[in-house]
Amino acid sequence: MVKLDEAVDAKIDEAIKELFSSEKPWITIVWDDPVNLMSYVTYVLMELFSFPREKAHEIMMQIHTQGKAVVSTGSREEMEHDVARLHEYGLWATLQRGDQVI
Amino acid sequence: MSKDSSETPTGFNRHGSNDYVAYFSTDEREVLINLVEQLIELLSERSDNHSDDPLAVMVGITSHDSPPEDDVLLRLLPNAYADQVDASEFRRYTELTLRTKKSAHAMSMRIDLKSSPDGCIEIDHDGANAWLGAMNDIRLALGVRLKIQENSFEELEILAPDDPMRGVYAVYSWLGWLQESLIQALMDDAL
Repeated sequence: MVKLDEAVDAKIDEAIKELFSSEKPWITIVWDDPVNLMSYVTYVLMELFSFPREKAHEIMMQIHTQGKAVVSTGSREEMEHDVARLHEYGLWATLQRGDQVI
Repeated sequence: MSKDSSETPTGFNRHGSNDYVAYFSTDEREVLINLVEQLIELLSERSDNHSDDPLAVMVGITSHDSPPEDDVLLRLLPNAYADQVDASEFRRYTELTLRTKKSAHAMSMRIDLKSSPDGCIEIDHDGANAWLGAMNDIRLALGVRLKIQENSFEELEILAPDDPMRGVYAVYSWLGWLQESLIQALMDDAL
């Protein structure tokens, strides 16, 4: 068994950590829309993400007043799944890397 | 939009622990059937462009990856990415599934209406979600045609009586009211 010195070990750890963390920072954004009812947006967020009513309402208000809100974060595959479900219910959603300018 | 004036319109109400009930007049039922059938037709468009490869069709891959040219379809089937290359790739693998799911909502609403000649609709939680999705898609489609903006309600309220958009706006508003009644009935449960 080859014994790696600690510095190399730490570097590998760091590289692995970065590799896995780079799988994480994708985000799903819901955009404001003049047709969707405010109550409907709240309801869909509760149904799809199991948010408590207060949290769903808070996110809906952020979408309404600021034009957009991040509704979920995770891997790219997870965010594609979330966007597809939001599209199924008519919410205007996109996904992108978390470090990109929204 | 004609309404049966002999009954106070209430929209959807909760019935028992998990059912939602609404009564529609003959005219209202016909309007809803008409709208939902138009939605089903709209969602089936482009189906002739499907890949000829039966395996690709089976796994939901379509040959087209460009966004729909029609504004209404583009709103119903929006891009998932701002980046066009990513958006096209995503669309190629998911658009058919999205159409199928939206169609399923609309078909569920159509069957409920068609199987209730007396206009009495009773749906469970899943049925309610299908109705909400379908009603929302119809409102999104009408909204594009009406060019609804954040503050366009004032203009639309004062359309001339002979403006064809006046009737469309009346239906749009009524559907919003109906959708709201179902959401309130569902949210009462969540309390």
